[in-house]
Amino acid sequence: MATREVCDEPRDGREVNRVSEAPGNGGSGEGYSGPQAYEPPPPDPHSDPEFITRTQFLTNLVIVGGGVMTAAILVPVIGFAVAPTLKGEEWRWVDVGPLSKFPTGKTTSLAVQGPDPEANRRIFMRNKDDELIPIWNRCAHLGCPVAYAPGADGFSCPCHGGTYDSRGLVTGGPPPRPLDRLDVKIVDAKGNRVAYKDAQPDHHVLVGKAYSIDNKERPYPLHGPGEPVDGILSNLYIY
Amino acid sequence: MTTTRDIGPKNPVIKVADDVAGYVEERAGALTGLRWFLFRNIPKGTSWFQTLGFAAMALFGMQAITGIVLAMYYKPDPASAYQAISHITNDVTWGSVVRSMHRWGASAMIVVVFLHMARVFFFGAYKYPRELTWLTGAMLLVLTMFMGLTGYLLVWDQKAYWATVVAVNITSSAPILGPYIGDILRAGPEFGTETLSRFYSIHMLVIPGGIATFIGLHLFLVTKLGIAEPPWAQRRAKVVREEDERRRAARERPPYGRTPVPATEPDPLRAAGPEGAG
Repeated sequence: MATREVCDEPRDGREVNRVSEAPGNGGSGEGYSGPQAYEPPPPDPHSDPEFITRTQFLTNLVIVGGGVMTAAILVPVIGFAVAPTLKGEEWRWVDVGPLSKFPTGKTTSLAVQGPDPEANRRIFMRNKDDELIPIWNRCAHLGCPVAYAPGADGFSCPCHGGTYDSRGLVTGGPPPRPLDRLDVKIVDAKGNRVAYKDAQPDHHVLVGKAYSIDNKERPYPLHGPGEPVDGILSNLYIY
Repeated sequence: MTTTRDIGPKNPVIKVADDVAGYVEERAGALTGLRWFLFRNIPKGTSWFQTLGFAAMALFGMQAITGIVLAMYYKPDPASAYQAISHITNDVTWGSVVRSMHRWGASAMIVVVFLHMARVFFFGAYKYPRELTWLTGAMLLVLTMFMGLTGYLLVWDQKAYWATVVAVNITSSAPILGPYIGDILRAGPEFGTETLSRFYSIHMLVIPGGIATFIGLHLFLVTKLGIAEPPWAQRRAKVVREEDERRRAARERPPYGRTPVPATEPDPLRAAGPEGAG
């Protein structure tokens, strides 16, 4: 049987196969090892782009398996750390006392207990001009607590000098929008909603969900500090 | 091969140390790596300016060590965090010293990191081939500042609380992703009990790991690429001059923003005019 071997010194950059006749195999030239005829090499399956070797297959398997295992660890971990934080704040109607607690013509400070400790907040109940306005004390600039000045009948922020009038509308400084407010309603002893002009001193005041307003006091979903609710820049915040 | 080191009696302690070092070297190549890391040529003109990076790293080491000790006494809970700090400062032996080291070390680290960055910038050491060194250093700057932010809240006093409220609200007022990042940092829409534990976890585990990783990358690149020459180094000026001469000969434009150094001798091609010599 003829044995094929690759020439040690390929010429013209091409592998030259030569057939040597092994002794005793019926060859024509005993001991001759020179080239006899060019035989094209058999096609190498590795050069076929559609051919996947075992090594390639196992490499791909390890990459895919490693990716799946990494994802199996990371997805729950990231979800655990991130997902609960992106939920909206829970809220409920909170009874803050009878209407007589908030004298007409004055702004009263009070603490409101939310459904969880994070929702506890301080508000100013403005009882003027035949309406109740619960104003959140969170500055609309960067979230510092604003203070109410009875003499000036307005709010001011100690951090960066934002000032607001008694309705919480911006009068100066960097805040991009007025102070946020909370929903409010007055209820009688049976829990029925009562209009402000019909309310009695013993009727109770309830405050609810917080919301933001623009300078014309139109309501918007609650925004974070520093975020405008109207104008072109408001499009940068997705709500 | 026998060398002069093998002549004469050897201190048994040194012999044991040599044996241990040889054991480790044979199996891990640690000594070779250590020599590669430590015994390097440095450019002429290297001065105290080039020690700021190590100073920043040393400060990080001090922060890590003092932070580990402080964590043994600190309680990341709103009801007891401030009391824990007070206990560390007033009751624990040398607690005030360790806490002060951590507190002032944090400020010093930020100052030194900025000085180091300024040195690199003004020496032009961020240029090719050291761009990745600069980028890893920039990441270290961000992580260092984030470390300062998260650590500031842990004292849980009025100043810490409101300063962090403002800082997080600045973050959350960034467009598009800002509100989400703010919610993730606060662990919800408002500051609360989970905010403190979240900041503690980030401060203790996440950022130190990131800083250690980027310090490793930074050091590897510094070791691999070597220290950049100071701008006044003569060799550097010689290289620049040679580069300009080559560009002149090849009629190439000089790099953007750089004034070429004057030619050392008249350019024969230019002197002969556009038709050339022949």
